[in-house]
Amino acid sequence: MSTGYDAVEDQYIKPVKGRKTMFRMIRDVLNLKRDATVFTISVVIYAIGGVLYPLALGLAINSVKAGQIRPLLLYAGLFFLFYLIQFFSNIWINLSSVKVAQGVIKGMRDGAFKKLQSVPLDFYSNVKLGYLISRIANDAESISDFLTYQLPSVISGVTTIIIAAVIMFDLNTKLALYSLVVMPVLAVYTLAIQPRVRKNYLATRRALAAITGNLAETIAAIRTVKAFNAEAQTEGRFGNLNENNFKANMVATRLTSSYSSVIRFLEAVGIFLVIYEGSLSLLHGQISLGILVAFIAYVQQFFNPIVQLTQLYNMYQNSMVGASRIYGIIDSTPEKMKGEIDVASFSKSIKVNNVSVRYDGNVALKNVTVEIKKGECVAIVGRTGAGKTTLTNVILKFKFPNEGDVLLDLKELNEIETNAYRKLIVPVLQEPFLFNGTVFENVEYSKRGITKEEVQRLIDVYGMSEIFRNLPNGIDSPVGELGRNMSEGQRQAVSILRAFVRNPEIIIMDEATAQIDSRSEKAIITAMRSYAKNGTLILISHRFSLITLSDRIIVLEEGGVVQEGTLNELAKEEGTFRELYKRSVSSYVSGTGGF
Amino acid sequence: MITVGGPNGKGMSKTFLGVFEPVLFARPYLKNGTRLFILVITAGVISNVSLLLVPVYIGQAVSALQKGTFSSIPNIGLFIILAYAISSIVNFIVTYGAQYISQNYALNLRKDFVAHLVRKKFLFFETQTSGDLLSRGSQDIEQTRNFNLNMFTNLFPTISLIAAAFILLFLISPEFALFLLFVVPPLIYLGMMSSRRQRPIWKQIRDTYGKLGETLQENIVGQRVVRGLAAEKQEIEKYNSMTQEYYVENYQVVRSRVFHNSLMPLVVAAVSSAILVIVGYEDLLNSYNVGGLVSAVLIFALLTSPVSFLGRMIIFSENSRAAIGRIKEITGTGDEEFVEQSQESLSPGILSFDHVGFRRGDRIILKDVTFKVMPGEFIGITGKTGAGKSSLVNLITRYYEPGSGSITFNGRNTRDIPLSLLRSRISIVPQEINILSGTIRDNILFGIEATDQRVKKAASLASISDFIESLPSKYDTMVGERGLTLSGGQRQRIAIARAVLRDPLLLILDDATSSVDPDTEIAIFENLKRSMKDTIILMISLRASALSFANKVLILEEGELKTDVGGEEGLNVNRI
Repeated sequence: MSTGYDAVEDQYIKPVKGRKTMFRMIRDVLNLKRDATVFTISVVIYAIGGVLYPLALGLAINSVKAGQIRPLLLYAGLFFLFYLIQFFSNIWINLSSVKVAQGVIKGMRDGAFKKLQSVPLDFYSNVKLGYLISRIANDAESISDFLTYQLPSVISGVTTIIIAAVIMFDLNTKLALYSLVVMPVLAVYTLAIQPRVRKNYLATRRALAAITGNLAETIAAIRTVKAFNAEAQTEGRFGNLNENNFKANMVATRLTSSYSSVIRFLEAVGIFLVIYEGSLSLLHGQISLGILVAFIAYVQQFFNPIVQLTQLYNMYQNSMVGASRIYGIIDSTPEKMKGEIDVASFSKSIKVNNVSVRYDGNVALKNVTVEIKKGECVAIVGRTGAGKTTLTNVILKFKFPNEGDVLLDLKELNEIETNAYRKLIVPVLQEPFLFNGTVFENVEYSKRGITKEEVQRLIDVYGMSEIFRNLPNGIDSPVGELGRNMSEGQRQAVSILRAFVRNPEIIIMDEATAQIDSRSEKAIITAMRSYAKNGTLILISHRFSLITLSDRIIVLEEGGVVQEGTLNELAKEEGTFRELYKRSVSSYVSGTGGF
Repeated sequence: MITVGGPNGKGMSKTFLGVFEPVLFARPYLKNGTRLFILVITAGVISNVSLLLVPVYIGQAVSALQKGTFSSIPNIGLFIILAYAISSIVNFIVTYGAQYISQNYALNLRKDFVAHLVRKKFLFFETQTSGDLLSRGSQDIEQTRNFNLNMFTNLFPTISLIAAAFILLFLISPEFALFLLFVVPPLIYLGMMSSRRQRPIWKQIRDTYGKLGETLQENIVGQRVVRGLAAEKQEIEKYNSMTQEYYVENYQVVRSRVFHNSLMPLVVAAVSSAILVIVGYEDLLNSYNVGGLVSAVLIFALLTSPVSFLGRMIIFSENSRAAIGRIKEITGTGDEEFVEQSQESLSPGILSFDHVGFRRGDRIILKDVTFKVMPGEFIGITGKTGAGKSSLVNLITRYYEPGSGSITFNGRNTRDIPLSLLRSRISIVPQEINILSGTIRDNILFGIEATDQRVKKAASLASISDFIESLPSKYDTMVGERGLTLSGGQRQRIAIARAVLRDPLLLILDDATSSVDPDTEIAIFENLKRSMKDTIILMISLRASALSFANKVLILEEGELKTDVGGEEGLNVNRI
């Protein structure tokens, strides 16, 4: 926590700096032409109404003093009229500001979300989930608060100050100067404490972020916490952060509370000066009583927006930081090499040609060449860290090789349009990810319009009905968040179904049946091979039983291909394969009566 | 406990009092707060009354000027400064005290929230999403804290301001006070109307906000699936339609309240205009001095801005009430289990299942399972996916309760063993591994204290010590969200070290080595068997190589147990 909460991500995302953020947000606001216009006009009208009513009040009082009924009625009428104007303009401000605010953050959220679908996948290993959620979900909210509530205050505050100053100087220059005499003091004081205010504020923000982070982790790990009876320790860890947050907030409050007390005192001095000097002027007949009353009201009015503006500074900073980060996400570089060639079919082979891949300088694959023909079932085996998953990532176009290329029917993968390519090849990944919904909804996700009957039929075809036997409502059972209501094996089964219903040309299964028993696994693979006759299958597995189902085996070690051949060939050969599957190979050999 | 309000509160007074639901809810979290409470409220009253005195003095100054008695002006000026000074000092107490109360409230509420949360039963978490629980514990609590703060800094002061204004106006002239009386009923009415109209929409907004977060989270976690299935467009459409819904609901809530809220300050202004005309006319006819009139109109002017803030208070209040409902679902005591430390101890013994049955809903998960395991035995459990393997082990640690039969350890029914004891002496390595942000050491310790030597020993038994030693910071390497990303096999081995460190009487490995390669897997098993002589090890696995290591293998078929002989020859792995 000491190195700043979001430091890592900020390095990677590069938030837009300083004024640029503000201008960009203004541009976003102005893009909503109609709403922005209505908003600005109504705020200005609102401010004008507010500035003018003390004048009407003063003039009305003058009329009372002068004994004139008609002007009294006129000015009292104006007095009410200005409030009425405020009433209507306030309605318009409310309606237009919510449209502006929500419009802007909708744009930001949509933009960020869209970009997240096209950034390189490496992005997600640098930028963590928590960061993205708190930017796109929470920070966007604070921007919306700023635009809905604070921005109208800023605009009307500035307008009020300008108009009030103009009126005051127009009415009486000397008195205007007297009433403004405390302003420099206020300004100096405000500027002087601002750095401390900001520092305190950042501390509270960090303290709260730490609480939220800890809570998120506790919730995610709740099953482990319970398994190890670590409830009390978890509470303790949270308790410390909770206390820190309390302290940070109290430190910040001490300063801001004393600040607002000082402001109020300065306001008193301002009013005192106006009354004192005003009454002298009144005695000398330089101003009327009504004008003096109006002036006192102005001094009070003057202070309100200034107090507000200083309080707003934090909110402003806060939402600017939030906005700069969201813009940072929106501006992230999308994946290059989206490709343009449209492919509709797969006819010959997919070839990994002399490919090397490095992660942060570590070699994951070196000079790997593998060719898989249409209709083949190839198993890729090797120890943990041998480069199996990297190889699938390269084939899936999730990872671009540093050297070499992948050829689909002799066309370079980099030049093939990614979406078209992914209609041909479907992965079933190591960690089965499910959306929160029912089993059926998860399958439907990859093929819209598929019926429940069809899904049920496929489950039977693939021999999966037993796997789902304990689900309370069959395929209509909710899988829970991230599929947690089901066992890992069930999740894998859903994830396999999801790929199969697409009926793709090529399926890559990366340890996709590790938690499914070998008999079900065999049923699935066999059914699949007879169901999709010309389907191409790439299996990555530790498991011997699965390997026996393949036509050909490729053995990886330390990022390179070390062996290649059929099971019979490799079982005879000295090498990594025999070492890996000593026991299984011997029982296989004895089980089948030798070769 | 809450007797007033509620979304279906009948009758006007009930709905109106519902505004104070947050106060009632907050009471238990404001321990020893009564004195501070009274202090802050009193300070708020004093601050506002002294502020209201300012227009009165101004009025006096105006009268004095009208009469031409300038000599009293400096005194009046000093009074004004004095009134402001009092108000500003006292105001410090209000803002600081209110912040203290609200932060203290949040501190205690959060503590209570987490205390209840970690004690909820397993089943509870199956029906919740983590995003939703998080937003209850963070945003919802902040929401109610914010309302509490505003209650002290705005709501109570505004009410006292109106009361004080009434008294002052009455002192100046009873006629003015009468005018103020006209204001109060319409204000209450408008406030109620506004709150009633926006309540249902706020609920929707909160739900939509929750869904937005969940969708985003799912999309990010499942990004490879989204890309792999070329479903980006589909996802973008889904998200855009939700942000659109959010936009519309936010607009609706403003539209539902804007008229009534804006009307509130206008009511005050209308009355002060009426005073200006009526009293001004009387003054004019009778050539009274205008000081009183000026005071009255300025007092009314002072009221407009807090009154319009009342509208904002209604928004906060509605928000806060919605949040309270959600928080209560956690801080309520339902669905909890007793996990406090116990003095009892447990020694090695036989684990026995006696005709255990378990069902979820209508589905039978396990039926009539009976078996015994001796200390030091290494037992494999296998069976088809969905056969009930995980359910079986989850019954031992009482994540779920068996429907029939009994499970005993060392002769004691697990029901009678305190949960804290049961779970600290039985270690389970689940399918889903959680790595917390912190160092590798923290993750192996996971809440208990142990010497470095023991941590290293545990790591070496789990065959992960070589890897850890190869890292530059070794056991102090940061992992989790903000640290090094570990592979599946590494995570599993850290989790095994975590379990082993506790020196359990019963170690459950729920497919805990599925991402570890077969060689290493066997090495780990050998280590465990060698070093944990009295420990029962139950290993769920589908791998023949792993099962062949066990003394005995239990095979589950559709919830029923078939025992198989151990060892390499007897193992009928091809059958499963």
